[in-house]
Amino acid sequence: MHQRFSAGSLSFALSVLAVAAAFALTGCDQLHKLGIGYNRGYQPDQPIPFDHSVHVGQNKIQCQYCHNQVERSAHSNIPALSTCMNCHLTVKTDSPHIQKLRDAYDKGKSIEWVNVHMLPDFVHFNHSAHIQRGVNCQTCHGPIETMQKVYQYETLSMGWCVNCHRQPENRAPLNCSTCHN
Amino acid sequence: MSEMNQHDHDHENHDHSAAPKERDSRYWLSLDQWAQDPEFQKMAEQEFQSSPLRESDGEDGWARREFLKLMGASLAMASAGCIRRPVQKIIPYNKQPEEVTFAVSNFYTSTYFDGSEALGLLVRTREGRPLKIEGNPKHPMNLGGTSVRAQAHILSLYDPERIKTPIRNLLNKTKTNRDTITAKWEEIDDAVVKQLAKGGVAILTGSVNSPTGRAVIGDFAQAFGARHVQWEPLAHEEIREGQKLSYGDDSLPFYRFDKAKVIVSVDADFLGTWLMPTTFSRQFSKARKDIANMPKLVAFDSAYSLTGANADIRVRIKPSQQIAVVMGLAHEIIVKKGQTRFAGNASVKSALDPFANVASQLALEPALFTKLADDLIQNRGKSLIVAGGLPTLTAQSQDLQVAVNFLNSALDNDGATVEGKNGLPGVGASYSALASLVNDLNKGTIKTVIIHGCNPVYALPEEFGFAEALKKAEMVLYTGDRNDETGRQAHFVIPDHHSLESWGDAEIGRGVYSIHQPTIRPMYDTRSLGLTLMTWAYMAKRGSKRLTTYETYYDFLRSVWKEEIHPKVGKGQAFEDFWENVLQEGFAGSLADSSARNFKLEALSGVKPVSSQGYELVLYPTIALGDGRLANVPWLQELPDPVTKICWDNYVCLSLATAEKMHVREGHLMEISVNGKKHKLPAHIQPGLHDDVLAVPVGYGRTAAGKVGNGIGLNTYQMVSIQKGLPIFAGAKAEISNTKMKYQLANPQGHHSMEGRQIVVEATLKEYLKDPGAGMHKHHVFSIWPAHAYNGHKWGMAIDLNSCTGCNACAVACQSENNIPVVGKKYVIQGREMHWLRVDRYYVGDPANAQTVFQPMMCQHCATAPCETVCPVAATVHSSEGLNDMVYNRCVGTRYCSNNCPYKVRRFNWFNYAKLIEKPMHLALNPDVTVRVRGVMEKCTMCVHRIKAGKSKAKLENRELQDGEFTTACAQACPTDAITFGDINNPESRVAKLFAEKRQYAVLEEFHTAPNVRYLSKIRNDDQETRPGSHGHDSKGGHS
Repeated sequence: MHQRFSAGSLSFALSVLAVAAAFALTGCDQLHKLGIGYNRGYQPDQPIPFDHSVHVGQNKIQCQYCHNQVERSAHSNIPALSTCMNCHLTVKTDSPHIQKLRDAYDKGKSIEWVNVHMLPDFVHFNHSAHIQRGVNCQTCHGPIETMQKVYQYETLSMGWCVNCHRQPENRAPLNCSTCHN
Repeated sequence: MSEMNQHDHDHENHDHSAAPKERDSRYWLSLDQWAQDPEFQKMAEQEFQSSPLRESDGEDGWARREFLKLMGASLAMASAGCIRRPVQKIIPYNKQPEEVTFAVSNFYTSTYFDGSEALGLLVRTREGRPLKIEGNPKHPMNLGGTSVRAQAHILSLYDPERIKTPIRNLLNKTKTNRDTITAKWEEIDDAVVKQLAKGGVAILTGSVNSPTGRAVIGDFAQAFGARHVQWEPLAHEEIREGQKLSYGDDSLPFYRFDKAKVIVSVDADFLGTWLMPTTFSRQFSKARKDIANMPKLVAFDSAYSLTGANADIRVRIKPSQQIAVVMGLAHEIIVKKGQTRFAGNASVKSALDPFANVASQLALEPALFTKLADDLIQNRGKSLIVAGGLPTLTAQSQDLQVAVNFLNSALDNDGATVEGKNGLPGVGASYSALASLVNDLNKGTIKTVIIHGCNPVYALPEEFGFAEALKKAEMVLYTGDRNDETGRQAHFVIPDHHSLESWGDAEIGRGVYSIHQPTIRPMYDTRSLGLTLMTWAYMAKRGSKRLTTYETYYDFLRSVWKEEIHPKVGKGQAFEDFWENVLQEGFAGSLADSSARNFKLEALSGVKPVSSQGYELVLYPTIALGDGRLANVPWLQELPDPVTKICWDNYVCLSLATAEKMHVREGHLMEISVNGKKHKLPAHIQPGLHDDVLAVPVGYGRTAAGKVGNGIGLNTYQMVSIQKGLPIFAGAKAEISNTKMKYQLANPQGHHSMEGRQIVVEATLKEYLKDPGAGMHKHHVFSIWPAHAYNGHKWGMAIDLNSCTGCNACAVACQSENNIPVVGKKYVIQGREMHWLRVDRYYVGDPANAQTVFQPMMCQHCATAPCETVCPVAATVHSSEGLNDMVYNRCVGTRYCSNNCPYKVRRFNWFNYAKLIEKPMHLALNPDVTVRVRGVMEKCTMCVHRIKAGKSKAKLENRELQDGEFTTACAQACPTDAITFGDINNPESRVAKLFAEKRQYAVLEEFHTAPNVRYLSKIRNDDQETRPGSHGHDSKGGHS
């Protein structure tokens, strides 16, 4: 690819460029309609197979017990290991996963979770503002209480964000700088 | 030359003929512009001075093809990238720290000491790392304002070139060996303790204004029989010596510019670099807010200082005339007019008589001098005469101080505007003490030298003999953050905490104490000086109980606060409550009242007239670099000097007449001979300079500062000569010749030309009293477009040009807040500097004796913005709250917006600057603001992230927004309160009230851009009925 460009004439470069651009645009567009390009359904393996369906679905632990800063921060925090250990000092201590957690905790280390919901760096989303307005966690994160392994439920695309912000009853701001600055 | 280039030139010529020729000659940016230089005109018409498409460094048209190739490659990558994702990890805390909430800032009170001024700070931290330095609004001195260096010193924390472990320099016999190896703490401590037992110890530090620092050094010095010497390049020794001669006490006084109605400054740059400039700017601007009763500032200026630039009346002088100015005024007041208690005193008369005809000697208008004397007489006890700083360090510097003290005492200012008792007890730096240390080193009585917080090998002239004397010491220990010029002469370099990593305190005025909290855990294996001394004392089992007992410097500090400071200023509070309160507020105590002192008349008899011939050298510190200790901070190197506008270099300033006489053009390399040595510096032609003055900034020419600061400019401390152990920074006879070689200076000023329209509005006080809107031409404008509706908030900003001193604190605040990259000298020359906020400087009037106006200029957030209508991809759009939003991810980089912006405030990312940031400098990036990539436009957002954070906070607390609850970074940093931000739709807001003032105007109003940034006109208290030559603008007409 690289060599051909530097050797080729201007017109050749342009034609290759046009083909590449056309493929890129239509390809992305179709994939995005399926929600694929936006990582909808992204479900990575985690270092510890934390199961939301057990914690939230069965044991009815409030979301904010672990994600305790979501009401006052732009970010919803992944809980510190100390939060896990509140229960797991006594609960299911024989599980190898919990042992892994406890070892890390005892050594003052952490667990490297894989980020599931990721926005580009030029998008500034504020959790606290949405929680304050009474938006449910499930509106964006889907039926998280049933997920054994967390996956991305919505596209988290700009169109999807704006669709909600546009609803008159939401009275949500629509300025570009609401999310981009 | 390529066909393409040819075409572009044709195009330019075409534009050139269409360009308006008419100019308002009163406002001009540079000499080139004044001269209507055709080269400059060509440059001014070109928005982007260079383009990658035009740099044909290969065959014909190569550059464009290369560009297309790059574009193609990035598109191909993009098409592959849309289905791939980078895996990001989230690593939570092991134990959640109580005080940390993700993405929510914590603020800690702290202090920054720059060698003479201590500023109360609020350090903003996120997740345990400091991000931004702001002034502490409660702090009694700076009241929320900060200086450029206080803000920029955050970058020195993240400087990749800090030393990370103790190191050892393997010095050979001639002490020129530069081999450096890492060392172990035990190795150093053992060696030092053994060495200390031999006696002959000296501790050389900068000024120590920390009471705890003085305690720990004092205790250590007592235990080991050591001598403590304080030294700084900007020592203020002349003031202390002058005070001693005049009043018998050698402490620095505290000046009250807020109480003075008439201020006379003789080369004391109190708004820029002298003593406590941020505090003084606060005082000065506060007094000038009441315009009808505004104080008058008269500056006698050798270099073109910031104080001179803000003076109502500025008189250019040369250093040898300083004494004549002060004594001449005294003669006018006391002998001629027979005023004050000294009138009729024979010895005073005989001392003043030689200065009878000063006005004519200075080539001043006699009326000006008489009027100034009258003003001083009428404002007895409410006037202030100051002199000091490097430009007054002539051979007669102490005589000048005596003369100033005499005049202040005669006018009853002592005890009123000069508070003798409230000085800065910590500023004890002294050249003479250092000279005696050099003497003892040469004699061999000093065996061990511990150096901390100063860089004498860099900042002393060779003639002083320090570097040579240091080689005679058996052991030299240097504690600092890098292996700099002095560090390289040391056997061991002991890494010190950065000031943001260590505990400390400061006595910011007698009886006022400021706390210095750490804001981050030490990043490397470092140790504070206090703990280092405590460790050595403990190991040697010598010294006071507190020196050898405590395990940390924090414990030592607390004990000093408990035992010494709390009883003085605790007001009966329990210590724990007092301590909590200090940490919360940042300071404790208050200044005492001061009373007049007795002036010793015998001191006056030594003050004699000074004669001089030929060129006189004036060395002066710059706003950006000061004494040069922060030379490795790129923000400071790229900050244009407020007056000359040059960055990345020092230079020699010449007057217009001198330049003409020697056929000098800007950037010609000049050879200056002073004190028998020759130095080469590029020339800068400076309007308003005395024809006999050669003004040269110090603080440049570092050789071991780091990658950024090394080799930038010339070390002009080498131009200092030494007389009787004291440095001569000014008045030395110099010769100059033109080598005719060209050197390119980076000066962004010409890029910001505004083609003679109503940009800065000025009026005299007399005009203002008749009509507050004087000097302004209002245009009739109409729009064919429907106006935007602003139903909620409408953000606006008012900038009071009558308060703004042009100090540039806002520019650095903006750079720090908004992740603005530094581009380097080469690209500043190409007009690619990235500053979102710049401070424009215009000269007014006769170029030989030009006056100055400043104007902070950033995106004006126009309601009918020209940039918005030309963007083909709607990347810059109007928000419902009056902001001009810039959407980086939409921007494709056509740069149409910038071409269409009449204010020239948009900046284009020519490169991926963020990728060039070396670790750990990236830690200083503000996570609330997007880091921009190559190929997008950017500009001031009016700190929209702060607006959002403020609104969000109010919403979470279920309440209405309060006016002044949050503000922009520039407004927060401003030490003169010139910038006011708020909601214009709230009629009670400060900004709405300022918008209703008669002094308010919009820049380039005739374009009907309807900006949301408004300016308030500048008023000059210069006794004139009208501004000279005013006001050509409205008579021109034609566009109203």
